[in-house]
Amino acid sequence: MRRTPTWPIHLVLLVVSAAMVTPLYWVLKTSITGDNIFAYPPALFPRHVHLYYYVDVWYYIPFVRFLVNSTLVSLIVVVGNVVFNAMAGYALTLAFRGKRAVVLLLLSCMMIPFQATIIPAYLITKELRLLNTHLGLALPLCSTIVCIFVFKAAFDAVPRSLIDAARIDGLGDLRILARIMLPLSTAAVATNVILAFIWSWNNFLWPLIVVRNQEMQTLPLALSTFLSYLENTTGALYAFCIMVLIPGVLVFALAQKQFVEGLTSGATKG
Amino acid sequence: MKLVRLVVLGAVLMAAVAGCPETAAAQQKISVLTWNIPVYKEKIEGWIADFRKIHPDVQVEWLDKKGPEWGPFYQTQLVAGTAPDVIDVQGGLWLEYAANNGLVDLGPFLARDPEVKDYYNPRILPSWNYEGKQYMVPFYISKTLLFYNKTMLKEAGLTRPPQSFEELVDFARQMGKGEKSGFMTLNFDWLYWPLFAMNGVELLSPDGKKAAFNTPSAAKALDTLAKATADGAVNKVSWTGRWVEPNDAFASGTVGMYQAHAPAFFYVRGSGKWISADTLGVAQMPGGFATPNSHGFGISKSSKRPDLAWDFIKVATNEKWGYTFGTTLRNLTGAPRVDTRILEYFQKEDPLAYSVLKTQVENLDKLVGNWRQAKDAQIKEAFYTEIQAALLGRKPAAQALAEAERKVNRILQR
Amino acid sequence: MNVARRWRRQGVIWLLLAPSLAIFFLYRIVPLGWNAVLSVQKWSPLRPAEFAGLYHYEEMLLHDDVFWTSLGNTLVYMASAPIGIALALALALLVNAGLRGRTVYRAIIFVSYPLMTVAVGIIWRWLYDEKLGLINYVLIRLGLVERGIAFLDSFTWAMPAVIVAAIWQIVGFFMIIVLAGLQSIPPNLYEAAAIDGADRGQRFARITVPLLRPSLFLCLVLGIINSFTSFDLIYVMTRGGPNYATELLITYIYRAAFVLSQLDYAAALTVVLFVLLLAVTWAANRATGGEAGAVEAAE
Repeated sequence: MRRTPTWPIHLVLLVVSAAMVTPLYWVLKTSITGDNIFAYPPALFPRHVHLYYYVDVWYYIPFVRFLVNSTLVSLIVVVGNVVFNAMAGYALTLAFRGKRAVVLLLLSCMMIPFQATIIPAYLITKELRLLNTHLGLALPLCSTIVCIFVFKAAFDAVPRSLIDAARIDGLGDLRILARIMLPLSTAAVATNVILAFIWSWNNFLWPLIVVRNQEMQTLPLALSTFLSYLENTTGALYAFCIMVLIPGVLVFALAQKQFVEGLTSGATKG
Repeated sequence: MKLVRLVVLGAVLMAAVAGCPETAAAQQKISVLTWNIPVYKEKIEGWIADFRKIHPDVQVEWLDKKGPEWGPFYQTQLVAGTAPDVIDVQGGLWLEYAANNGLVDLGPFLARDPEVKDYYNPRILPSWNYEGKQYMVPFYISKTLLFYNKTMLKEAGLTRPPQSFEELVDFARQMGKGEKSGFMTLNFDWLYWPLFAMNGVELLSPDGKKAAFNTPSAAKALDTLAKATADGAVNKVSWTGRWVEPNDAFASGTVGMYQAHAPAFFYVRGSGKWISADTLGVAQMPGGFATPNSHGFGISKSSKRPDLAWDFIKVATNEKWGYTFGTTLRNLTGAPRVDTRILEYFQKEDPLAYSVLKTQVENLDKLVGNWRQAKDAQIKEAFYTEIQAALLGRKPAAQALAEAERKVNRILQR
Repeated sequence: MNVARRWRRQGVIWLLLAPSLAIFFLYRIVPLGWNAVLSVQKWSPLRPAEFAGLYHYEEMLLHDDVFWTSLGNTLVYMASAPIGIALALALALLVNAGLRGRTVYRAIIFVSYPLMTVAVGIIWRWLYDEKLGLINYVLIRLGLVERGIAFLDSFTWAMPAVIVAAIWQIVGFFMIIVLAGLQSIPPNLYEAAAIDGADRGQRFARITVPLLRPSLFLCLVLGIINSFTSFDLIYVMTRGGPNYATELLITYIYRAAFVLSQLDYAAALTVVLFVLLLAVTWAANRATGGEAGAVEAAE
């Protein structure tokens, strides 16, 4: 294979990376300096760095409480997703009557936008007596169709021979799932974890409706607090955005390698 | 291993469900929903404390939502049958609920406590009167006025604020040179309506069943404004901005005249370095027309204890708390006794604020833009989007008005 | 397998599917049903329902130009998904070229995705600001314009501006999906093709693209789903304005339900949106020779 010079590629990627990062850099810079909310022309480098805005965020809202709530809810969502999606994904690798219907059903469920389901979802949560609870906040997100198919694809890639051998040994489906499929699909698990975490962590509209008392609020809801009383943005808003961003980035960083592999087995097998 | 996993999951779920709060037992409870005043938390706790002196065994749940979130929250609660007992509503949103039998008629309460009826300004109460029933009482009031940049006026050779629509546009043209513009207005909740009222335009027929604004004078006024906008005399942000943008524009000192309500002043003063008693002029719009944008207290029909809700409202709007509110958040309350004291306070402490707030209770017979129509939200939307298109030069004025008329008539018929 | 075992097997399968299906039933299917039922009624929370047949649909299709505008905007918006995917494909190809620091590039480009969409909206709104925004500053300094463009207030620029922000948020995510797909293509396929005399372009068209089909389809589906979450983006950046230039069906649904208090009309709009999305997905499925097709074949 011909060797292409790598520096043009690096150049393009650097430019793209800069474009991707610049907005975030701008937010970060404003969160530590407070320039550019009112000042013009914008300064490229931070002057007079201070952390007051971060302190503001910490004290202005019950940050720890919200953080705990968000973490608990996301934890439930992640665990729920991994367990339920794995189960469903495995079921879809088997043949059974009604499978086609189930698949079509799942695919069409993906097309139902959340904003249109708010009120009925609220009423259902109320019937289940789960209003204002972490579980109530988490439940609608505890299974996602895309992730079911990711698991399915990963399981499809497990060599038939292993499964047949296990069946001959008399292992039931649940055991097969737990002992053979899952260990070979850590990538799919990582994918589920990252996506479930990001989607639940950033969820704004559902907590807005379902949470009535302040102590159960999750972190994103606090966002509107920083769009202050007179609807002007404050420096604390930018600090807040950064603070909310960090856990998602962390989760991604930790599971990065396996996340990418997870999408490999998910994507090509179909 | 799988089994262990399931057990752990089950335990987590049980724990989470167990942590679920018990539905309120024997305790009475009322809930209060306010509109975007989280900064006022301490004082609201004062309201609650005073209320509980009268009703010690009643819990009060206080909720606060910002404007855009207030709607979905309240709608969902309505559907679920758990709407907050006391609600603080801005502008015309209450009409929808009143028309659909969602608010308690406060008439009997006011009649029962006559001193309370005289307590609220009788010129302001009608703002919340729909089909003969009184649905809300004032919490804090505001209406539009004309701010002007004295420096810019002087530079254009003008000596006084305009006193007619023609003068308004003319002055705007004189001041609107280069980067500067001569006039700007807020556009939400019918706040721009005085511009039409000045030209004798009525929105609807007297019986409220048909659109009545498609008249030659309206077309002429709209056309004049559109041309002035195109020429930069009227700042485009008037028609495209929400709240922050127009205020920021005026604060930057490049706009000659600004039609806005009192809260805008306090916002603008914060970021407008040029503002002082010498440089900021305060006046009524030509003809004295103004659109109110007040907050009222009402009681949801689904409330199980409307009497308690009423008592709470009385506490929140009584002299002590009304005065505190007015002086802390710089608004008038719609209760004349209290407003006089608030004005006195500002006259001493902050003469410029005083001059602004004074206008909020003048010309209360010239209030416009506050029709009591059940479908106010839809009419407002239909009308404004059409004229916005005309004002931004996308459509001729006559066509915009005709289409608006068609849409509004349709809304009224449905 | 004897009958009892087969029944038990079926039982186990349904048991495995049960939790997920229960959640979708409760939180997607039932709400859709609620919307469908509501769409043929005249109702408000404080009034009893009356049957109204196709009343709302008639209003929507024959008299409501906002509906048609938002429908058009929604299609435009969805059509921009391929742009994001194409960009992601290009980036993935670059990153895949065996460079050092690949993991770093990957991480940097992805980092926009975990950001709250509301935050993305706020940030970009600020970047696009006519007076204080970075973008106008750069444009002015580069001499491309004389004064700042009010992107989000302009009829022509508002939609592209929002689309740029949406692509920014998701391109990293798409790139990772495509990258993973790329990395799973066996290199010997390329070698064999090269030996057979195929050039770069042919290798790309004949090997890469077909084998990437599932990844690309996944991106497309996620892009469509993402157009729902773009609700936050539009709401914060433009509120559907100016004059409905950026109003999507989803924002119109929200507005009808919660601002205009017309829950029944919003329900009808929801049904229409759902049908539209089904149609688009079906078409996309066909076009990419599909994921769903493969699923069915695997039965």
